[in-house]
Amino acid sequence: MTGKERIIEILSHKVTDKIPWVPFAGIHAGALKGYSAKDVLQDGDRLFEALMEVHRLYQPDGMPVVFDLQVEAEILGCELAWSDDTPPSVKSHICATEANIPCRCLLPKETDGRLPMILDTMKRMKKAVGETTALYGLICGPFTLASHLRGNDLFMDMILDEDYVKDLMSFCTEVSLKMIDLYIGSGMDVIAVVDPLVSQISPNHFTELCHESFATVFAYIRSKGVKSSFFVCGNATRQIEVMCKTKPDGISIDENVDIVMAKRITDSYNITIGGNIPLTTLMLHGTQQDNMKYVLDMIDRISHDNLIIAPGCDMPYAVPFENAIGVQQAIRESEQVRSILANYQTVEETIEIDLPDYSSLTKPFIEVFTLDSESCAACTYMMGAVDAIKAYFGDSIDTIEYKYTEKINIARCKKMGVSNLPSIYINGELKWSSIIPSKDEFIQTIKEKLN
Amino acid sequence: MKLLTDISEMLQKGKINDVKALTQQAIDQGLEASVILDSLLDGMGNIGMKFKNNEVFVPEVLIAARAMNGGLQLLAPLLEAEGVEPVGKVVIGTVKGDLHDIGKNLVKMMMVGAGFEVIDLGVDVSPEKFVTAIEENNADIVAMSALLTTTMTNMKAVIEAIEEKGLRDRVKIMIGGAPVTESFAKEIGADRYTPDAASAATTAKELMM
Repeated sequence: MTGKERIIEILSHKVTDKIPWVPFAGIHAGALKGYSAKDVLQDGDRLFEALMEVHRLYQPDGMPVVFDLQVEAEILGCELAWSDDTPPSVKSHICATEANIPCRCLLPKETDGRLPMILDTMKRMKKAVGETTALYGLICGPFTLASHLRGNDLFMDMILDEDYVKDLMSFCTEVSLKMIDLYIGSGMDVIAVVDPLVSQISPNHFTELCHESFATVFAYIRSKGVKSSFFVCGNATRQIEVMCKTKPDGISIDENVDIVMAKRITDSYNITIGGNIPLTTLMLHGTQQDNMKYVLDMIDRISHDNLIIAPGCDMPYAVPFENAIGVQQAIRESEQVRSILANYQTVEETIEIDLPDYSSLTKPFIEVFTLDSESCAACTYMMGAVDAIKAYFGDSIDTIEYKYTEKINIARCKKMGVSNLPSIYINGELKWSSIIPSKDEFIQTIKEKLN
Repeated sequence: MKLLTDISEMLQKGKINDVKALTQQAIDQGLEASVILDSLLDGMGNIGMKFKNNEVFVPEVLIAARAMNGGLQLLAPLLEAEGVEPVGKVVIGTVKGDLHDIGKNLVKMMMVGAGFEVIDLGVDVSPEKFVTAIEENNADIVAMSALLTTTMTNMKAVIEAIEEKGLRDRVKIMIGGAPVTESFAKEIGADRYTPDAASAATTAKELMM
């Protein structure tokens, strides 16, 4: 089964061979190639290059092309504030001073705003990986878009001026339908309707003022023969049921919702649930082992039907690569990772490890610490880079791979203080962690050691 | 007293006109301003608890706060005449680089509803601006909000600026926002982290004891 088949099947509520994995690498994609958030959200070439790196390192079944909820608001005339390591924020709200409805002449066209760049990148990604990987087109949900246009007063309007909110939601729904047409036309397999603010209103308000919009959007996506997902952020515990009633194919939640409880509800509506790896405490600040353990605990706690494993939302820019690699490995090679973690806890100083005398080596010694270069994609690439260097320098250097799947190597990692995999050490010192060096950089580094 | 209970209940329903009319009625009956104030604070406190428990959401809190402010406006001159002091002074803002203010606004409303005077610096607030506001207002508490993982680190810069100015012993520091955690608060040397607006108000009162 290809990743794409896996995503389509799971969103069709059918059985898959493995649990699908969808890393929400939006701005984080840029970090993989040293590009800023602004770079990848404004420059198609850099975005494409970064997405290809996500695809190479994280081996996703499905992946978003652009994770930016401000695209529509920008087209409609809202001013954005840009940042190097977060998506842009809406700075000015075009309906803030007066409760009006924007002109329908502003409805998105393929030539508007950043759409030419986005649609082109979608087409390039479709051509490059679209045969085997499901591509997600993310649109800003109509309620969050309404708040972008109106500002915080939208919340008061919901009580004081319901008719206005209905009219504004109706306009935002039209925007959504246009975006869906454009994204499907550029090859997207799944349309994700991302509406973080839904968690901030009561289920009753959602039903009264939002249900119709979302139901319209999901019915439209279905009529186009494409799959849909409803992304929410924050504590949406009370909203899950009313979200289900709008009939998306999937719902994606973050760590503020208990996925066991939420899945009971989504299962009762035969809707697929996605989530909910904690973004900050775990993916950004946790260790690789913390991430692996979390995923194993999750897949032990819930049934694997109608399930996609994904970060809670857009991954923070600076998530260490090895954490996402650890998540992927825990999903794909669960039993292997389970034994690694068990061994890690039991392996103590009882296994004697003699480290080389690094100060008296006669030639550069490259040690590669991997999860397992046969099953972990990033490890495979890293080992491939080392093999190429070995071929280049021949007997003038020594190389070795230590696979974490063996207890003795776990003991070695502990003794050397290796915390992230895969990593390359040269002469006992950490040189690259998760980042796979280019051949030129690698050669230059070894030449310096040889001199 | 039914009149005071009614003020609290109407506030919780967000009925600004009713709150204003009932507050005026209470004033006309000669009730002490501080007693009437307590009924407003009781209503806002209840809304805070319901918000914390996911029983009401952002629109209901905003509309209740609007009703509270309607009553407070009528009471303000009387409270001053009675010499009723606020529980304490809080300087609040969303840190530099961050334009998100829903959470910060909710905390502000809950703190006003707990009897604090709140100086709201808005969004994208620099460390220097926080420090100046603390000095100018002789604040008891500074409360910082961040929604982004990248801007939460700016909270540390504010704390450092407060320390540099020699104000750290004079002011308590509270932080909150989606990515913020208890351990982050400890790491950067904040006094308290609270996960929601109602807890922020309760914690602020504890800090004043």
